[in-house]
Amino acid sequence: MKSLLLIGWRTLTKPSGYYSLGALVIGGFIAGIIFWGGFNTALEVTNTEAFCISCHEMENNVYEELKTTIHFTNRSGVRATCPDCHVPHNWTSKIARKMQASKEVWGTIFGTINTREKFLVHRRRLAENEWRRLKANDSLECRNCHNFDYMDFTAQSERAAYQHSTALASGEKTCIDCHKGIAHKLPDMKGVEGW
Amino acid sequence: MSINRREFIKANAVAAAAAVAGVSVPAIASNLITSSDITKLKWDKAPCRFCGTGCSVNVGVMDGKVVATHGDIKSPVNKGLNCVKGYFLSKIMYGKDRLTTPLLRMTNGKYDKEGEFTPISWDQAFDIMAEKAKETLKKSGPTAVGMFGSGQWTVQEGYAAVKLYKAGFRSNNIDPNARHCMASAVGGFMRTFGIDEPMGCYDDLEAADAFVLWGSNMAEMHPILWTRLTDRRLSAPHVKVAVLSTFEHRSFDLADNGMIFTPQTDLAILNYIAHYIISTGRVNKDFVNKHTNFRLGETDIGYGLRPEHPLEQKAKNNGKSKGSSTPIDFDEYAKFVSTYTVEYTSKLSGVPEHKLEALAELYADPKIKVTSFWTMGFNQHTRGVWANNLVYNIHLLTGKISTPGNSPFSLTGQPSACGTAREVGTFSHRLPADMVVTNPKHRAIAEKIWDLPEGTIPAKPGYHAVLQNRMLKDGKLNFYWVQCNNNMQAAANINEEAYPGYRNPKNFIVVSDPYPTVTAQAADLILPTAMWVEKEGVYGNAERRTQSWYQMVEAPTGAKSDLWQLVEFSKRFAIEDVWPEELIAKKPEVRGKTLYDVLFQNPSVAKFSLDEIPDERLNDESRDFGFYIQKGLFEEYASFGRGHAHDLAPYDRYHKERGLRWPVVNGKETKWRFKEGSDPYVKPGSGWDFYGHKDGRAIIFALPYEPPAESPDEEYDLWLSTGRVLEHWHSGSMTQRVPELYKAMPDALVYMHPDDAKSRGMRRGDLVKLISRRGEVQTRVETRGRNKPPVGLVYMPWFDASRLVNKVTLDATDPLSKQTDYKKCAIKIVKV
Amino acid sequence: MKDLKLVSIAGLIALLSTLFLAPILTSFTVHAADKAERNTVATLRDHTEIDSQKEPNPIPKVINNDIKKARNYPMQPPVIPHTIRSYEVNKYNNKCMSCHSRHRTEKSQAPMVSVTHFMNRDGNFLAEISPRRYFCNQCHVTQLDAEPLVENTFIDMHSLMKQKTANTTEH
Repeated sequence: MKSLLLIGWRTLTKPSGYYSLGALVIGGFIAGIIFWGGFNTALEVTNTEAFCISCHEMENNVYEELKTTIHFTNRSGVRATCPDCHVPHNWTSKIARKMQASKEVWGTIFGTINTREKFLVHRRRLAENEWRRLKANDSLECRNCHNFDYMDFTAQSERAAYQHSTALASGEKTCIDCHKGIAHKLPDMKGVEGW
Repeated sequence: MSINRREFIKANAVAAAAAVAGVSVPAIASNLITSSDITKLKWDKAPCRFCGTGCSVNVGVMDGKVVATHGDIKSPVNKGLNCVKGYFLSKIMYGKDRLTTPLLRMTNGKYDKEGEFTPISWDQAFDIMAEKAKETLKKSGPTAVGMFGSGQWTVQEGYAAVKLYKAGFRSNNIDPNARHCMASAVGGFMRTFGIDEPMGCYDDLEAADAFVLWGSNMAEMHPILWTRLTDRRLSAPHVKVAVLSTFEHRSFDLADNGMIFTPQTDLAILNYIAHYIISTGRVNKDFVNKHTNFRLGETDIGYGLRPEHPLEQKAKNNGKSKGSSTPIDFDEYAKFVSTYTVEYTSKLSGVPEHKLEALAELYADPKIKVTSFWTMGFNQHTRGVWANNLVYNIHLLTGKISTPGNSPFSLTGQPSACGTAREVGTFSHRLPADMVVTNPKHRAIAEKIWDLPEGTIPAKPGYHAVLQNRMLKDGKLNFYWVQCNNNMQAAANINEEAYPGYRNPKNFIVVSDPYPTVTAQAADLILPTAMWVEKEGVYGNAERRTQSWYQMVEAPTGAKSDLWQLVEFSKRFAIEDVWPEELIAKKPEVRGKTLYDVLFQNPSVAKFSLDEIPDERLNDESRDFGFYIQKGLFEEYASFGRGHAHDLAPYDRYHKERGLRWPVVNGKETKWRFKEGSDPYVKPGSGWDFYGHKDGRAIIFALPYEPPAESPDEEYDLWLSTGRVLEHWHSGSMTQRVPELYKAMPDALVYMHPDDAKSRGMRRGDLVKLISRRGEVQTRVETRGRNKPPVGLVYMPWFDASRLVNKVTLDATDPLSKQTDYKKCAIKIVKV
Repeated sequence: MKDLKLVSIAGLIALLSTLFLAPILTSFTVHAADKAERNTVATLRDHTEIDSQKEPNPIPKVINNDIKKARNYPMQPPVIPHTIRSYEVNKYNNKCMSCHSRHRTEKSQAPMVSVTHFMNRDGNFLAEISPRRYFCNQCHVTQLDAEPLVENTFIDMHSLMKQKTANTTEH
């Protein structure tokens, strides 16, 4: 067994005796493109809402709740899809998030939240993950659309304008500090600051 | 506090000058009025005008106007709280379009069915009414005159109306709008217990460990009871709340187990719970052996539609019996419910198995005290009486009944559905104190109390609410008086039945109302009516609590109470106009007298003099008739129930109390009926005594699931459920005239699932048409409101006079209770 | 146009005829007379026949101006002067309290819930909002930008008192 593995390793590490360097480089390049393209395409597929709600945990819980909120239906029809808020746009963070997502695949397979009741049990923890992530990146996914620099305070309600021009402007608060539960229902908020 | 600038400067200048001079300024010079003889309000108690909860409110009067109301801190029902409607009570009487003069449809100064509403005097109004009534009686007899009354009538008004119709006109064609609301509950009580109304009381709310809401949306429809339930749930964490409905609503906000079921499958869920209790060995055998009987009910009873309807033709036992049943034993019953397995029930109802099991366990666990609440979900149901019977089954199998916290509790929608409609017996088949016209003994009792010749009251039940509209349309009911309700908005299928019925040229329709309602619009004669604290009265709420109030303000000049109208109208009839000679011959002393003399101005009703009413107290009716009529009617009415487990306290006591729960025996109210120790009518040593039935036993009924009258199909592909909203009460004739309530909920929208809207190319706010086989109504789409229907069902409230959803609904009824099912019919929705 | 004229003539006739009956008539008929002659009583239906229907108005917007409205009398719950879309009040959370509870008002500058809200059924004060008052939306409602169909003639007690003080100062 051990010797067999050794032979395999040697074959892989031995310089090629049959193909030209050029062919290898080009072949590798093409293979790389195919692999990378395939990987990225696959990755992009997982970044669509259709993929997100292909499992009923997402469709029946969070997506169902999203439908009546302002991030789904509103004046101008600009709407947020799941990945807009839940998948970082820059590459490293995205891959990091995707690796975390393997846990969610695990959850799906083993039915961790396959009923509404189970989902509700885990809801606080799941929400906290997202709050923590958004707090850490200064609500980056919010700011991808809601850019502070271009907010027209005069178009906001008095209360909103006051908070945005003070706490948000000074950096004392970030979006997620106040805007929790805007796209899905809240978990039990016992002990959460501001509640 | 508004003060204009000039006044402000002036006040300040005076104050400054006064300070310099070193003198104190009189209070009236400041911008705050403090003088007690000016700020003083006259406060008095009254039950709330709206729902069946029966909150007590304090009403503040200044200069003859109601200027404030607030929850009565002394009332055990609401302990100082009101819902949003209750807090705006003081404005309901002040809509600018209050009616103040009778209006008759006329052309060229003469009555004309197609004429325009023209102001006339009260004398003229009674002239034409009496003319039409007499003409009808002469031509077609007593079955051609009728009345549609109300669970919002005071006890005295309902009682006077029953006397006028059943004894005076000898017509049983009097029915209350409570038929739309409580009839199935009554049927359920009479069938299972042999006596009407809940055994428990609101004190159950503080004692129960679990609450189950069967279709009821208490958060909106009984807000103050909901505050008590919320209080219990949140302050005692072990308490569980289960909510069942055909769509998600506000009561789900507190639910530990929220369940959406397919319409009509509540019947199966109820049987499943019984099966669960039996199959897990949790039947309270001792209780069941001592206090219950088992019976198998008749099935396939039809849907209370017109007899020629295909569904009625098809039904085997339609109209042939009145819910007959045969005795069975426990084993047969157990076998009967054993087909309702969790798998079958879950599949039929769409409720996940684990949720059904969690629900059933609340009932089965002997350690959990459970209270069930229901209102229109059970009652407005083509198998409404069955649904009521089936929920009692569960409580009886486990013995969870008549003790604090163990309570199957039927809630009511109207302030006196219990007090007036049920207890007084304003139904077409009833007499006071649970008696019925079909029973010769009961008729004899009534005739004796009313001092009438034997045979005055007809034995045949009259037309019930739904039948009245059909008979109007068919031209068989020709003189019709509607008081204190808005049936042209409230009745189902108004397009095909009520509207053509009211406008049938053969009929003369009188509508009494404070406001010009949709029903008034369809009338021939409108009578302006005094309301609420513009008269003295008594209401009875859902927990058997009887509450009274005094007249506190004058009605607008020209408006008269329903009581005054009924009694004054009776003066227009000589006995010879209404009774046949052979009846008069049995009691010759009535000859030459009027109905007023025989029914009201008699030794029984007129025995309390005006001396009992202090000079400073208002009482328009008594001063007009010359005796304390409200007290006289109440005391005569109370004599029906005293000694028969319906005992009421002396009238005067109610003015001092925040209501009392009947039976009131030896001055003490009764909280839990049928239980030894708390109900004086229970035989000592029996533990429980369901004395409504002769053998003291309640009946557990074997009744199956049967499908609804109409279900969605390919063309009419959606369920429609109708109902109410928090901000408006019933048809909105009072609350739509309060600006704050109007602005809180101005229009009735159709609540839809976003996916249902999307698949039809619709979105929130779209103008749509709801179309059924009977009619159509336009409204706007709401996809994110407080009600969240599942895919396949829509909900539209009926409070909106400008969007009459009852043009669409089906007038299918429970064949036993004759109550309409407003919760399910098939419609389609198209964009306009 | 011809219809309109007819209507106004009919209205005039109605108005004239009411003058003779003036003593027993009040604002109602006057109010009705300036409306179309048919269905003068259909005030909540904008004078539409029962067998027809007026086109439903668009859904009005929630008033969101944060301007307090005067109460009709002191015991009345104030209406909500802002939108509450997606505000959760359920057994887990009460969004309203994240601004209106006592310990949040300094930050939020929102009005604190009234002291009555701390009283239980027996009138004793609790350390927190009484659970019986938990569901704010049973008494407090938002207002939509809709014009009431019928005017309300309710008189504020303050107007009555002002009349009386005016009378007493004249003496």
